[in-house]
Amino acid sequence: MAIWTVCEARGNDFSPTTYELLSQARKVGAEAGMETVAVVVGVESGLSDRLNGQAHQVICLKAGNLGNFDAGSWAEALCGTFSEASPRLILFSDSDRGRELAPAAAANMKYAALVNVTSLEWDDGQFLITRPVCGGKAYATYGTGESGCVAVVRPNSFSIEPGEIASTLVQTVEVDVAPGKVTVVELTPREGGKIPLTEAQVVVCGGRGMKARENLSLLEDLAEALGGAVGVSRAVVDAGWADHNNQVGKSGKTVSPGLYIVAGVSGAVHHTMGMDTSKVVVAINTDANAAIFRFADYGIVGNALEVLPAITNALRVQ
Amino acid sequence: MKIAVLVKEVPDLEAHVEIAAGGTSLILEKKRVLNYFDEIAVEAALQARQSIGSAEIYAVSAGNGTGMEALRRALAMGADRVIHINDPDLEGAGPLVVSQALAGVVKREGFDIVFAGKKSTDDEAGMVGPMVAALLGIACVQGVTALQIDGAAVTVKRETERGTETVQASLPVVLTAEKGFYTPRVPQVMGIMKAMKAEVPKVSLAEVGVEAVASPQVRGYSRPKVRLPVKMIEGVASQAASELVRLLRDEVKVI
Repeated sequence: MAIWTVCEARGNDFSPTTYELLSQARKVGAEAGMETVAVVVGVESGLSDRLNGQAHQVICLKAGNLGNFDAGSWAEALCGTFSEASPRLILFSDSDRGRELAPAAAANMKYAALVNVTSLEWDDGQFLITRPVCGGKAYATYGTGESGCVAVVRPNSFSIEPGEIASTLVQTVEVDVAPGKVTVVELTPREGGKIPLTEAQVVVCGGRGMKARENLSLLEDLAEALGGAVGVSRAVVDAGWADHNNQVGKSGKTVSPGLYIVAGVSGAVHHTMGMDTSKVVVAINTDANAAIFRFADYGIVGNALEVLPAITNALRVQ
Repeated sequence: MKIAVLVKEVPDLEAHVEIAAGGTSLILEKKRVLNYFDEIAVEAALQARQSIGSAEIYAVSAGNGTGMEALRRALAMGADRVIHINDPDLEGAGPLVVSQALAGVVKREGFDIVFAGKKSTDDEAGMVGPMVAALLGIACVQGVTALQIDGAAVTVKRETERGTETVQASLPVVLTAEKGFYTPRVPQVMGIMKAMKAEVPKVSLAEVGVEAVASPQVRGYSRPKVRLPVKMIEGVASQAASELVRLLRDEVKVI
């Protein structure tokens, strides 16, 4: 009975969320009397030495046709291993990849699946898993009981503690899987930030108050100065100034950064549901009565087009 | 060609939600609609039929007493027929049981393309589409923004963390619809009347061979974190900015 984490590489290391999951798995595992297992697939097995101390066991799944990420073949490889081990809990990051692999795992293992998880604890013989419901208007805490469960965890939910497991057992398992059924024919890379919006520690978001497409560069300047990512509101996407991929809100992405700076956004519920778990929120709006200020820790009544560059400047100078 | 559409009935986005005393249940205002992303999926089915020339389109929904609003909307938009999986054991059921139920019906009815919404606006898990695919043993492409059907294969576009991907898959396949794929049509009078009069077959979980297993139980509900009232920072842009940076750096220590 162990807590398994499916690892995801980012460049030549694992993603920050991977380390968050491994850290929380160790913490909760210790309380539950369970060990932790990290699973790495395909070409990412080459990074497995980074996981020393992070889990009790690291399992590397390899096959000739398991190279870079491919949902179908990777899911098959993982499910084969899960079937043999019957993990009590399998953790995935809420990322493109997590959302491809987690459903396959849950369906194959006939496990319950909980998504957008924001907390994981152990109490009295079961895992307690919390996630938003009703579009984020409330949070529900579930008890997993005795059954196996798949959890897809939101980035920035857990702190990363140093991995201090004395001896990590690394195993390589040769698997035999069919090639995936979906072929990527072309990828048109997205220009801009390397950090996915949902994982960024700092997000700078602009709305209608940015007035014109060219002013969005003010968001980029500030995001760059803070090492963060740029988001936009639905109004900006609807106006055709930015694509939907950076949209924060109900029909876009949910972000949970340490710092969320939002300018020229009125604060309709459609938007606030996408960001209200951010740790510190700074709102800028010309209207002192804008709803967004109810969701902010700090507020500045002013023109986004003046205040944003002023903050960027203050960061460089102070 | 058989096109299935998986639809969910959800509370209207504006519906009021309250946590009942004791934090053990939710009080939901009773306004229910077809899930926004599923509405796009229905439109995608209608557009697919148009591009192929002809196809049978059926929509399926699963719930305990819920689903008829969603199904009638699908009919009104132009689906040929609908099936309602109605069972008390679907109350509070997680994606596994729902997916097994939907997959059971779709398998029974036959399918070439299965459309679903990328996620529901109430639960936002986005699991059912890909889980149904896994249960049917077919591929799933999530978050589709464009579709071209060429005989027994499809070419689709979707947005990913890395950029816009163009992918190909053979039929049968599950495709989940992303915002922007299509703009759902508004049902016309003829469609609305047809939907109101339609006979909707009901099936139970047992009838589709699904054994209801217990989903994780909710132990309690809580409110989203409440913030302290906002601290307004005074001054002209440069002064306020300077003070903000000082606060974030020295007091809140978030930069």
